[in-house]
Amino acid sequence: MAMELKTIGLTKRYGAKTAVKDMNLTLRSGVYGLLGANGAGKTTLMRLLCTLQNPTAGEIQLNGQNIRGLGGDYWKLLGYLPQNFGYYPQFSAWDFLLYVSALKGLDNNAARKKSAELLEAVGLMKEAHRRIKTFSGGMKQRLGIAQAMLGDPHILVLDEPTAGLDPKERVRFRNLISMFSKDRIVLLSTHIVSDVESVAERIILMKAGQLLQFGGPMEITSEIEGQVWEYTVPASQAEESSARLSISSLRQENGHTVLRVIGPSPSPEAIAVPPSLEDLYLYYFKGVEDQ
Amino acid sequence: MKRLISFELRKLLERPTAWVGLLLVLLFSQGIAFSGYHNQYAVDPMTGSEGSGGASVAIDKTVAARYEGILTDEKVRLMVEELVPKSRPGGINAIYIYQNATQSAAARHFYDIEGNWNGKTVSDVFGEERIKIGYTGGWMATSSNLIQVFMVLSFVVMLAVSPVFSGEYGGVDNIILTARYGRSKCAAAKLTASLLLAAGAFLLVAGTSLLAAFLYYGKEGLDCSILFTSMDSAERFIPFNLTVGEMLCYQMLLGFTGILSAAGFALLFSSVCRNQLAAFAVCAGLYVLPILLPVPETSFLFRVVALLPLYHIQFVSLMAVEQMESGLLYAVWAVPAAAAFVLVGSVGSYRVFTKHQVF
Repeated sequence: MAMELKTIGLTKRYGAKTAVKDMNLTLRSGVYGLLGANGAGKTTLMRLLCTLQNPTAGEIQLNGQNIRGLGGDYWKLLGYLPQNFGYYPQFSAWDFLLYVSALKGLDNNAARKKSAELLEAVGLMKEAHRRIKTFSGGMKQRLGIAQAMLGDPHILVLDEPTAGLDPKERVRFRNLISMFSKDRIVLLSTHIVSDVESVAERIILMKAGQLLQFGGPMEITSEIEGQVWEYTVPASQAEESSARLSISSLRQENGHTVLRVIGPSPSPEAIAVPPSLEDLYLYYFKGVEDQ
Repeated sequence: MKRLISFELRKLLERPTAWVGLLLVLLFSQGIAFSGYHNQYAVDPMTGSEGSGGASVAIDKTVAARYEGILTDEKVRLMVEELVPKSRPGGINAIYIYQNATQSAAARHFYDIEGNWNGKTVSDVFGEERIKIGYTGGWMATSSNLIQVFMVLSFVVMLAVSPVFSGEYGGVDNIILTARYGRSKCAAAKLTASLLLAAGAFLLVAGTSLLAAFLYYGKEGLDCSILFTSMDSAERFIPFNLTVGEMLCYQMLLGFTGILSAAGFALLFSSVCRNQLAAFAVCAGLYVLPILLPVPETSFLFRVVALLPLYHIQFVSLMAVEQMESGLLYAVWAVPAAAAFVLVGSVGSYRVFTKHQVF
């Protein structure tokens, strides 16, 4: 089923603060990575897409119809992992998935089959009958991912899905999403740029509630072509250079320090390098997280 | 829908506040019945026998059996003659001297301060009513105990129902409200489960209490009038010639409406408050508020106040309101009142929960 999810002039204000401002986006099947600093409006945008909040202005359309009028017809297509995943401490993972299956309208057999599949997929099958309150943060997060995928939703919205996952689990998650995303819209937000870089076909970059960039990783990183440099300095000067320049990363090489600098060329000796998504993130958000 | 209801019931019952509360009410109801049975004391002035607990019940039944049947002036004469207290310590009014349930009932209507006949006939006291008398002590004590038991139960039900919506605001509401049936069947299942819990808890507590009373006292007295019962029963304020059995039926009905109304209250505040303790505190506060209102029972306003859930549970004041022109007891208004509380609680909480925004 080809789908088009569109935000038209989408705005959400809380009193004087504008969390999402005049957002115009068109999402078709594929994985979308939502990047932005804390307070950029990512979670608000996701909640608006999930009808958990009402927009102050604008609307969201699914195939040309306002989602607020679709009700159950929209929710049956939706899977959502909230940033703060709530659960029932006394329930086991298995019970919780059966409960969410019932909420999603899966019949008993389908619920059991799908729950088992998803618990296997997120590596929780052995823990299926343990109470959720005994789970680690990463296990809860994996359970959250599983519940979001119940019912094979056509629109999957994942808010910080990789938070609390160890590197092995993150790789498993990326593979799971890649397999799942065929003919579906998957929107995921994260602070871990590498997660988005490896799985997302398109990136939505938000800052202060507004859309900053929207496009493929190569396409949007090309915006800062010629703004990323590698600059080798003696190790003794590394600290002084780091304080003066916008540094993306640094590494030691043969007694020297190689700095990855974002911005104008720091020196005639500096070498221009292709920008990465992380460079782009730092280019736009340098200093924002600290504010 | 059945699966969702069973999940919602399970969520409610797995909370310690619910199951521990219910367990405590059951223990309290059995404890109060046991204590009431074992702490009774009776004397038969004719034989001189006296005793407590089971012996007291046997004495009360023996004394009552001598006068059993329709109350007549002759029976009054015999009771005054045979059961009059032999001494009045400190000159206490004779009607307050309890020897046995029959003597206390006779004293209430036919004694003067000295313990002599006050000169009133049966028709002076009861008019044309036919008053059937017999052993009523056990079931009247049970009725008084049930007021306390249902009062405690109403708080436990409010405590158990309080988290039904407020407990979801901690984060699961995100998942519920974005699921296909989260705003329809799930919300309806929450309401159904809450009302089932309230009704089930009432039936369990009332059923076990009545069973215990039956085991302690048997079925004697259920067909006797509540107008000729001992001084210490709160139900003496009900001025209608109901049998003890009829009164218990009304009490059960009003207890049921009271518990369901309390659940309706709790549902509403559960959806409004973001925290289950806050929800419980607000609804419990509003629930007990009517007894703090300075509304005398003679005031017309009392007829409205008496329809609030607390008075369903207390039941004596509501049962004491004068009959309607149709001859029905005013207390029957408790049924539509409870339906209104449940409806407002259900519709209100449904709307608040399904329309709330997650921030």
